[in-house]
Amino acid sequence: MNKYLKSFFHRGFVFGGFGPIITGIIYFIISLFADDFIVSGKEMVFAIISTYILAFMHAGASVFNQIEEWSIVKSVFFHFITLYFAYVFCYLFNDWLEFDLRVIMVFTAIFAVVYLVIWITVVTLIKITEKHLNAKLK
Amino acid sequence: MKCRTVIDKDREEEVVIYVHEKNSLSCEIEELVMGKSLEIFGYKDKNAVKLSPSDVFCFTVEDNKVYAVCEKEKYQIKQRLYLLEELLDKDFVKINQSCIANIRKISKFDASLTGTLMVSFKNGYRDYVSRRQLKFVKERMGLRK
Repeated sequence: MNKYLKSFFHRGFVFGGFGPIITGIIYFIISLFADDFIVSGKEMVFAIISTYILAFMHAGASVFNQIEEWSIVKSVFFHFITLYFAYVFCYLFNDWLEFDLRVIMVFTAIFAVVYLVIWITVVTLIKITEKHLNAKLK
Repeated sequence: MKCRTVIDKDREEEVVIYVHEKNSLSCEIEELVMGKSLEIFGYKDKNAVKLSPSDVFCFTVEDNKVYAVCEKEKYQIKQRLYLLEELLDKDFVKINQSCIANIRKISKFDASLTGTLMVSFKNGYRDYVSRRQLKFVKERMGLRK
């Protein structure tokens, strides 16, 4: 198996479990503030599976950034697309997102902006680290 | 602290440190001696070569095999990576799950636009610093305590 594909699954399986834990915490927080908050067994199972998939894809997709044969544009594109489709699929599957083109368009715009903000933050921080480490090397 | 070197060709070479308790100097001497005396044998084309850690650019895992990447050659070695991590001195730091880098052989760090920090070695070999190991790399480079 390709080493990157192997790494994709390895990371996915290692960190996938964090998704359902986060779901549990979020549901717990919501229940503290909403008196009539009830989750059915079916909704719970769907949420657990979906958030497992999301955490799996998040962790796995991080390997795209390390594929040296890929250009930066290709890495970022595949990372973005993988996460975007994982989110849209899981949100629609759980009815967290209405199956309406306009709603999906708004979600896409928000997703792209949040992705861009996180990307700029990560790149800025890593550039600062690079500068400091290279200064130490000299 | 007193220091003396006894030259005696009939005895086995050893370094003995007498201290009241372990301190930073004794630890550094210990690490230095252990690092210098660490014997690593690299295998290539059925030939075994004795490698000095200071000549190794990095130790890396490929297909479950551990390799020592030197200036021009790459040798397979028998030790496991976790064992090497314990034995190697302060010049070495684990940069990701499958690579231990020799800091003295790093030419530069490169931040890519994908948010990954790459390490370029003086022989042109490249590998990445994982997010988990970044804090240890920073510590080893003296950027944080």
